[in-house]
Amino acid sequence: MSIRFEDVHKAFGTKKVLDGVSFEAGKGEVLFILGKSGMGKSVTLKHIIGVLEPDRGRIHVDQFEVSALFKGEARNLLPKVRQRCGMVFQHPALLDSLNNFENIAFGLKTPQYAEKIGRTLGADEVDRIVREKLALVHLDPEVLTLYPNEVSYGVQKRISMARTLAPEPEYLLFDEPTTGLDPLSTSSINSLISELSRKLNVTSIIVSHDMACALSIADRILFLDQGKVVLIAHPREVVKSELPLVKEFFEETLSLLPPGWSPA
Amino acid sequence: MNLDAAHRRHVRALYIAGDLLQKLFRQASRGPHRRNEVIQAMDSIGIGSLPIISIATGFTGLVMTSEIAWHMDFALSNVSMIPGFTGQFVLRELGIAVPALLIVSKVGASMTAELASMKITEQLDAFRLLKIDVVSYHIFPRWVACIVSTVCLTMISIAITLFIAMFTAVTKYHFNSEEYLNTLAQFISSMDLFCALTKAAVFGMIIPPISSAYGLICGGGAQGVGQATTDAVVTATLAVITLDFVLTAIFTALL
Amino acid sequence: MKTLMNMVAAVLQEFGGAVIFFIKIIRTWRSSGGYRRPVIQQIAEVSTRTMSTVIFAGVFVGAILVLQFDLMLRRFDAQALLGGLNTSATIREVGPLIISFLLAGKVGAYTTAELANMRVTEQIDAIESLGTDPIRYLIVPRFFGVILSSIILLAIGLSVSILGALLVAQTMSGMNLHQYLASIPRFAGPWTLFEGLVRSTIFSTIVATISTYKGFTASGGARGVGRAVTESAIYINIYIVFGNAISSPLLEWTHDFTFFMIGVIGRALP
Repeated sequence: MSIRFEDVHKAFGTKKVLDGVSFEAGKGEVLFILGKSGMGKSVTLKHIIGVLEPDRGRIHVDQFEVSALFKGEARNLLPKVRQRCGMVFQHPALLDSLNNFENIAFGLKTPQYAEKIGRTLGADEVDRIVREKLALVHLDPEVLTLYPNEVSYGVQKRISMARTLAPEPEYLLFDEPTTGLDPLSTSSINSLISELSRKLNVTSIIVSHDMACALSIADRILFLDQGKVVLIAHPREVVKSELPLVKEFFEETLSLLPPGWSPA
Repeated sequence: MNLDAAHRRHVRALYIAGDLLQKLFRQASRGPHRRNEVIQAMDSIGIGSLPIISIATGFTGLVMTSEIAWHMDFALSNVSMIPGFTGQFVLRELGIAVPALLIVSKVGASMTAELASMKITEQLDAFRLLKIDVVSYHIFPRWVACIVSTVCLTMISIAITLFIAMFTAVTKYHFNSEEYLNTLAQFISSMDLFCALTKAAVFGMIIPPISSAYGLICGGGAQGVGQATTDAVVTATLAVITLDFVLTAIFTALL
Repeated sequence: MKTLMNMVAAVLQEFGGAVIFFIKIIRTWRSSGGYRRPVIQQIAEVSTRTMSTVIFAGVFVGAILVLQFDLMLRRFDAQALLGGLNTSATIREVGPLIISFLLAGKVGAYTTAELANMRVTEQIDAIESLGTDPIRYLIVPRFFGVILSSIILLAIGLSVSILGALLVAQTMSGMNLHQYLASIPRFAGPWTLFEGLVRSTIFSTIVATISTYKGFTASGGARGVGRAVTESAIYINIYIVFGNAISSPLLEWTHDFTFFMIGVIGRALP
């Protein structure tokens, strides 16, 4: 049970975004992908859920080879892969036309979910699951009847996470979960991510620029630069690394950390 | 409540458009005239729209003139009137309204989208801090260019459509081209051309302020940009149609 | 020369993309069901939002045309024919074209803006990641909603433009009502309505396809939304102009052929 990249290449026009990326994320692991903007971090995530097709190389999610599911009949398997992966987007990406309850319940009403659990859920069960997930992201039930544009950005992010958690994915993918948030919301979202990863015992892949967060909650950290993996290691080794990109990130982070701090 | 907000937005945009028009006229009379920027804007607005406008009006002319010819033939059972009818219709309406409506969506919409993007990425605020007047630097050159371009494009599209009208008459109704032009000359006068170009100038004059006004009042995010652009296209289209009627009525009374 | 080739290539690519998208919509629609409610919802939404604008524009379109025709006919002392001439020309040709230009903005650009906004805020990706096909969930209902409501709106716009023409003919050209109405049947009949309907359907399909295509494929933040909306408005207008040019001879041939067949059948009958 793992997500595995084998020598994946992807270019947009003449711009190479992924240039031979290989790594593996095992069961229950929290993997951070760090790198500067435009270095292919989000693209990596979009390959996992089969929104983008790689030019070359293979991507495995559990027993599925995602990179082979783009042709003909195999396409029908893509929703099954997506069912396993819950993605939290950079924006909250809530549907404006639905209220918060309907947004969280969205993934529970798809045919794939019915197939996974072997039946369609009744209204009371949907209601129970929605409230349960809402409690997981520490929100009060009052927000359920409101529309996304009636709650704050931080709350939208949490609802978006609850929506992702609702169909109980085996993998959680976060695309820059704290971009555009104030420092307080950032730290609360970070602790929420760490809490969820441990509590639900799912594999999490988190794309971020936030090294401080990565050092405190990651099992392993992967550095991407110019479409290549420059380092993949435990936070303890990352701190010791002599690579210029890693040092740059680390020094930037160090200035923000309290004195006497050491990696988990 | 939603409807009210929409109405308020339109009223506000039209008010700002009026205000802009006044400022633009003042700058036109007092300067600075920003010749270099105007020429640049003419290149992007006028030359940039030339292929689209000429192809589109050409095809429209092909259909419309044969349609009008058919109707007139049917109404008066007299083919000899066709040059006069098609020529008049092209010169008074078709050759002016179609390019104007295309300019609304080609030039007007991109003006709104550009200003709206500048607004929400706070470039307009930066301009204000640097004491750069966005009307004088950004909108005025485009306004002048739009007026000139609309007049020129209208002339070009009238020429294309007239040629196509002649083509229709020659191929479908067996005129020879000399005969056609002679009949045409009896029906249209320099007054018609004057009216046509006046209309074109008026359309060119009102499209940029309306488009810019919606861009300037654009609100939050991607949604705001989309909304502003849509609103601008619709309002400018309606303004062109309404003014077309008013001007047609005035010219009809004069002729 | 090279830029011209690039331009042609870009236009072809654009057109091909739209056609492929159209086929995708139809395929998705054929392979799934349950669209009645969302489509009706879309029609209600689009029509109520656009009705007042179309009525306003329709009146003026009719008014402009009647003034122009009046001026032409006056020279030949043939004002008696004004009603018929104007009604026929409005329904068959000029009306659908100009009102469709308006719909390109009001319905087309609006749909593009809505979808493009959903695209750049990753709402469409979110739908996909939750295992729902966004074409099925978002595009198909909008596509048919836009087509059907555009046909309804065009019909209303054209009817109103006939009324507007009547009003102007009476007040400004001093036509009498009876004379105006009496000349209509000479020019306009069921075939005129049929032609108007066919044109409206073609234009509506163009509005629906291009607006959903441009919105669905938008990218690049707020600027991208602006670009998508602008391109949607201009491409819809251009495709409408081409659709108009292609449909005209086809309709004329259909007309001739139909009446030829009616004649043949009529003679064959005792």
